[in-house]
Amino acid sequence: MSKLLQIKDLHAKIGNKEILKGLSLDLEAGKVHAVMGPNGAGKSTLSKAVVGHYDVEVTGGNILYKGKSIKEMEPEERALEGIFLSFQNPVEIPGVNNAYFLRTALNAKRKHEGKEELNAAEFLRAMKQHLEELGMKSDMISRSLNVGFSGGEKKRNEILQMLILEPEVIILDEIDSGLDIDALRAVSEGINKMKDGKRTFLVITHYSRILDYIEPDYIHVLKEGRIIKTAGPELVTKLEAEGYDSIEEEQ
Amino acid sequence: MKPAELKDKSTKELTALFNVKGREPLLEKFVSMGLPDKKSEEYRYFDIEKLLDAEYNTLDYIPKPIQEGDKIEIVDGVVTTAPKGLRIYYEQCDAMDMDHFDPLYYLGHILSPNVIKIEIDGDAELELVHRFTQSNALISYRIVLLNQSNRHATLYERFIEDEIADTLVLYGYDMHIAQDSTLRVVKTQHMQKQRYAMVASHKINVANRANALLKSFDLGGDLGLQLLKVDLNTYAHVEAGHLLYLNHASRRGTVSKIVHKGQHSSSQQEAKNILDGNARGIFDALIKVEHSAKYTKAHQNSKAILLNKDAYMVAKPQLEIYIDELEASHGSTTGQLDEQQLFYLQSRGISYVEARKMLVIAFANTLIETVKDSRHQEQIKAAFEKAFYQGHTKDEQ
Repeated sequence: MSKLLQIKDLHAKIGNKEILKGLSLDLEAGKVHAVMGPNGAGKSTLSKAVVGHYDVEVTGGNILYKGKSIKEMEPEERALEGIFLSFQNPVEIPGVNNAYFLRTALNAKRKHEGKEELNAAEFLRAMKQHLEELGMKSDMISRSLNVGFSGGEKKRNEILQMLILEPEVIILDEIDSGLDIDALRAVSEGINKMKDGKRTFLVITHYSRILDYIEPDYIHVLKEGRIIKTAGPELVTKLEAEGYDSIEEEQ
Repeated sequence: MKPAELKDKSTKELTALFNVKGREPLLEKFVSMGLPDKKSEEYRYFDIEKLLDAEYNTLDYIPKPIQEGDKIEIVDGVVTTAPKGLRIYYEQCDAMDMDHFDPLYYLGHILSPNVIKIEIDGDAELELVHRFTQSNALISYRIVLLNQSNRHATLYERFIEDEIADTLVLYGYDMHIAQDSTLRVVKTQHMQKQRYAMVASHKINVANRANALLKSFDLGGDLGLQLLKVDLNTYAHVEAGHLLYLNHASRRGTVSKIVHKGQHSSSQQEAKNILDGNARGIFDALIKVEHSAKYTKAHQNSKAILLNKDAYMVAKPQLEIYIDELEASHGSTTGQLDEQQLFYLQSRGISYVEARKMLVIAFANTLIETVKDSRHQEQIKAAFEKAFYQGHTKDEQ
């Protein structure tokens, strides 16, 4: 199986604090990888490091996407190449119309791929079906980006972006936080729809609830800045029953 | 004429120069305040001395027959066009504010013995275009604006200039907003570099239970200052929004004094400032709550984004309060674009340069979108984007 994203001995810090301490992880194409771990283990730092967040300084190791290092790439270059992060807390941007934002992002991607840009009418037609699938009201795209959105609406908007941008590596950071059952189901259906045997999902979560909806192929336990164990989905049951302290690092 | 030469002239000398018969208190007031200079509080951050020290041609303000048109047009201080049926005429001003903080308010009245009086009927929506065609000129005129009780009128104001240079425009309103009425004034002014400078000194009296909604969208370069004095009577309300987008070495802004005189009066003042190049923005705003203005609500806020290390914002929101029974707040922030917002856009494949532009336009849009009429809202958005794309200095990452 081909490795879409390879994280090799990654060291990264935020401010003066080293958070990732030699993290290695291979993400296979077409698979769902779940990264679980206690608070402060470095889960969000891992996702930020992959997308090039300004908070995170990579001090060692490498991140390869399709065999090519992305460590020095700007965030927008990584996005255009096909890496997508669904944020735990998407920011609100008053004054940026959601539809305008989505169309600008989509057209940036299309331009990068050498395709023609969509005009407003073509874009809205393309959006209609996605909105229905996610149970989003059409007025949500005419409002300012994430402004006044509930927690569930923000997450649906993240998934909407994922659906239209069609990335190849999809990182879902605490996608289930703040979601009620209906929203969780809608969001999960959106994610499952993207599974095509080629894309890779990296699901970062505290709890196993989301994994009932998005079935993982691999569970990785992240503790103190390193992946200490990788196993199949059966590991979730053990973690639920015994907690992270029960996991010993694999040699 | 060189306005600076009026400095230190006695009342007698000025009486000989200007037609002030019957308006002597006005002249005395001007003499007592003197011409503003760099030490004057209201002009401290604006290079007024340089403007007043230049030699200007003076114009003859000869009223012409007013042509019928879909908007009011004032060319170099003379009304040329007005909609049919609109009461617009020249008259001596009989209701000036003798307590204005700006000496140029008085100079404007001295230079303009006859003001342009506009009486707005009913729920009218009017458009006023100011046009300037003369170089090296001192263009001075004043407008008295009256509306009717229980009516809701709107005035959209914009400015056009020919290929002129080094002109100084002194103009301003005396607005009398009738009780139980609403008057909206939306000003859009995109100034080009070194064509004309403007000092606009206004007085707005908001009668009992009336609303003044004042929006100014000041874009581009050059020198411009609006000085607002607003008096609020019982249950009167003012909502003032000021957007500045400045580039190059522009110096522009708002100096204001909102005076709460009546009980239950309310004011909401918001300034959004985007400064590029080595521009300087000015928001020097005082809200004064007098003893008579119990149960007042007064809020003011200024936010500034600096797009260049050489840009500078002078933000001085101030409250002067003489009672306890009120609700008041003020605040000011100056900074760069929000990093989190910038990153969010980049993480969706939008370039750094485009993301910056989107955020700047978004910042401006929050104020532009308070203009209710969608056509005018779109026009202002287009004017802003044009000014921004023309004037934005090269992005540096």
